[in-house]
Amino acid sequence: MMRLEDYAHDAIACIRCANCKWIDQNYTRSSRFSRICPINVRYGFDAYSGGGLLTIARAMLEGRLKFHPTLLEVVYRCTLCGACDVRCKRNLDIEVLLTIEALRAKVVQEGHGPLGPHKAITQKIKETGNRYGIPNKKRLAWMSEGSLPEKKGEILYFVGCNSSFVQTEIARSTIKILRASNISFTVSPEEWCCGQLLISTGQEEVALEVLEHNITAIEASGATTVVTSCAECYQTFKVKYPRLLEKKTEDMPFKIWHITEFISKLVKEGALKFHGQTDVKVTYHDPCHLGRLSEPWRPWHGIFEKFRIPKPPREMRRGTFGIYEQPREILKNIPGLEIIEMERNREQTWCCGAGGGVKETFGDFALWAAQERLEEAKLTGAEMIITCCPWCEENLRDAMRSINTGIKVYDIVQLVANAI
Amino acid sequence: MSFPKEAYQALKSLVGEENVSDDPVICAAVRGGAAGINVWDKDVVSPACVVLPKTTGEVQEIVLIANRYRLPFYPTSSSMHVLASARLPNTIAIDLKRMRGLEIDEENMFAICESGISSAELFAEVLKRGLWCMVPWCGGQASVVANTAVHGTAPSIYRFGFPHRRILATEWVLPNGELINLGSASLFRDYFWGEGPGPDLRGILRGTLGHLGGMGVVTKMAVKLLPFQPEPLEPIGISPHTALKIPEKRIKFFNITFPTYEKAVDAVYEISHCEIGAMVMIIPSLFRYVAKSRGKGTAAFWEEWNKLGEWVDWTNTVVRVCLIGFTSEKQLIYEEEVLKEIVAEFEGKIREGRPLDESQFTSPDAICSFFVTGTFHPPTLVFDSLDAGLKTARRNVELRRKYKGVLAEDHSYPGWTFSVELGHMCYYEFLCYGDIEDKESLAKLELEILQSDIKLGGWPMFQDPSLLGPAWLNYHHHLRGLKEIFDPHTLSNPPLPERLPWNVPPETVIKKGD
Repeated sequence: MMRLEDYAHDAIACIRCANCKWIDQNYTRSSRFSRICPINVRYGFDAYSGGGLLTIARAMLEGRLKFHPTLLEVVYRCTLCGACDVRCKRNLDIEVLLTIEALRAKVVQEGHGPLGPHKAITQKIKETGNRYGIPNKKRLAWMSEGSLPEKKGEILYFVGCNSSFVQTEIARSTIKILRASNISFTVSPEEWCCGQLLISTGQEEVALEVLEHNITAIEASGATTVVTSCAECYQTFKVKYPRLLEKKTEDMPFKIWHITEFISKLVKEGALKFHGQTDVKVTYHDPCHLGRLSEPWRPWHGIFEKFRIPKPPREMRRGTFGIYEQPREILKNIPGLEIIEMERNREQTWCCGAGGGVKETFGDFALWAAQERLEEAKLTGAEMIITCCPWCEENLRDAMRSINTGIKVYDIVQLVANAI
Repeated sequence: MSFPKEAYQALKSLVGEENVSDDPVICAAVRGGAAGINVWDKDVVSPACVVLPKTTGEVQEIVLIANRYRLPFYPTSSSMHVLASARLPNTIAIDLKRMRGLEIDEENMFAICESGISSAELFAEVLKRGLWCMVPWCGGQASVVANTAVHGTAPSIYRFGFPHRRILATEWVLPNGELINLGSASLFRDYFWGEGPGPDLRGILRGTLGHLGGMGVVTKMAVKLLPFQPEPLEPIGISPHTALKIPEKRIKFFNITFPTYEKAVDAVYEISHCEIGAMVMIIPSLFRYVAKSRGKGTAAFWEEWNKLGEWVDWTNTVVRVCLIGFTSEKQLIYEEEVLKEIVAEFEGKIREGRPLDESQFTSPDAICSFFVTGTFHPPTLVFDSLDAGLKTARRNVELRRKYKGVLAEDHSYPGWTFSVELGHMCYYEFLCYGDIEDKESLAKLELEILQSDIKLGGWPMFQDPSLLGPAWLNYHHHLRGLKEIFDPHTLSNPPLPERLPWNVPPETVIKKGD
């Protein structure tokens, strides 16, 4: 279980340099898009920033700040996008994001959190195994009767709640791609919500139940590889599950792939070819969970010796090895398609605003963050914004209803499915 | 006494409910920082409320409210909390990050910045126009206005001089709430010129280290921009290994080693004398080890650093020179030839650096100094001549040997020096990576360093200016007089600028009869 006390060193080590609020200066291209922390831009107060939250954590650890209702609002408005974490770790060794997550875990452990809408979703997951409260037997309803894959297989497609129940075209496109590549795969009717929202809102005990169920279901399917088209599910399996189990990612009983990694490999190997001509300008939105937050988990149980030197060495996840290039390589291979980058891209991406349980609780803020992204996308001259996270897509589309940018949002698998 | 309800209500009416807060959580988040725990965090408390003004008029009103209710206040801009923090009860934190105005006059080469504009964003905007501005060592995230007003030293300070030399017309809310405009803005709403009419009040901003928030709030400042070479600087890499690819025919970095430290200093004098180069600094091996450890973590740093013997060979110290062909490619060719002649004269070995810049142009990252142990104790900071820097370096080695175990192993590294204003001054910095639990020993070390600084004749920055006597430095006397007139109740960022919270009392440093 996460304990705030385990991050005391990080809370104290923050020097309040404010880098957590700005994109990497080497990549700053304009004043307009120079900032990276959505909560800080929107709410202004330092409490809404990586450095501010670390200082709050320190105040709590030092007994200067007791629980106060505002704490819930402050810690749960953060989208946990990890921008602050990556920016801080360019220069320093501070676990900014984990400390924020530990703050959330603390408020849950003390019985104050999470917030009402989170609790409602938790209840739905407990009752039905998905975030929407729909009977879980309908999870595979998007597949036509005759097209159900084998019940067992080495590769399992983990569909995720959103693509199973809401944006089912993502799931359909994904299996079209897998089949076109002659990949034998299975899906599990026993799939439950991955639990990203539970873990990110600090509800680790419930999350462990979900984790155990999903791992059992995967093992029962005989799969040794899990492929998902959802960036959140991907990060949950690759990072959050190992964290809860205190294991390295490599020590999990299966390998996890995002569909873009998979497609990129298939294209390189010649197993998947694109046809036709799609003359369109697109821009690619890096989902936080696929990009800067997706590096493998490395547990660390150590101490800080004199002069604050960690023993054993503490390996930091700095966002360097996220999935950035594979989606771009796929897009570049689609004939006629031109990619134009937004100013904030890859590990410097601007969060769409949906993550960390924010969309469910602070919907107006989530939409505002997405509108910011749409404006940035529009300025590139692109006609489409492509991403590979159903939650990003949903939030970006919702935002589009309030501002007319003329830009369209698609999942990468939809483009690929069209091009094969 | 609790914060007056009427004052809070007035602030709320002024900026709107969403832009002011007295919530303990919101206030706790701006309780200074941990920067060098023993140093800048001293005596810091949470402010009683945080207010986010959008306009100069709002700032003025806030200051007037503070005066009306006798409430201390301090300004902060990009929120790099170093010197601006609450240290008294009922303090108002004026957070200026909503003040995001930025206008660039390309033809006349100046930019008008409000306080929330960062150095990196100004750099990005002016670069598009073929111009250049200085980004301070503390990083591109720092505010242009704050750093220009308080000597935000930068790598290019060698070529372009102190930041205050680029202050043009300025808008300033005094501690009593009065609004003044300096330079051309005082006559007409145009910001192109910094001087007059009458006495040049920029001296009050500038002083020795600036007024550090102790004389009100600067809300808008025009800063002079400089011409730059026309080729683009292309960003490359993924964090933490991000850099700018530099045009090789226009910009070059050189790393030079010399047989002795003295020869390195003499060579820097000569480089400065010949007026070549855009940045010249003497970089200790410690910094190179920090740079090599980027992305690997502190443990990796210590593993490599500990392989060195007790004494670092000071000839490992590198003189790093950046040459820029501002006017033409030929300028770069000329400067390179001159540099090589100087290096040969002082028996140095020159090596051209990679055509990349990680940390000089837009991302100067002195923040990495904290990487070694997560903090540092009061450093030796000397603004004097290059010779004084060298003397201080020698002294530091001797002093630090007595504190083995209190200080982390530094292998007697000589510190960091850079040439300022074409060699006319030097900035010398030595960071003590101390055991912060052993406060008593560190305080003793600090005192010894100060006493020694005085004997050496160097000026220890961030210490009581009266240590060297009024003949050397009398700015603080003038400022005290002005403070009495404009801030009679000492409300503007107390106790600054009169003294800094961590100042060692002069009578402790210099005993009677010394």
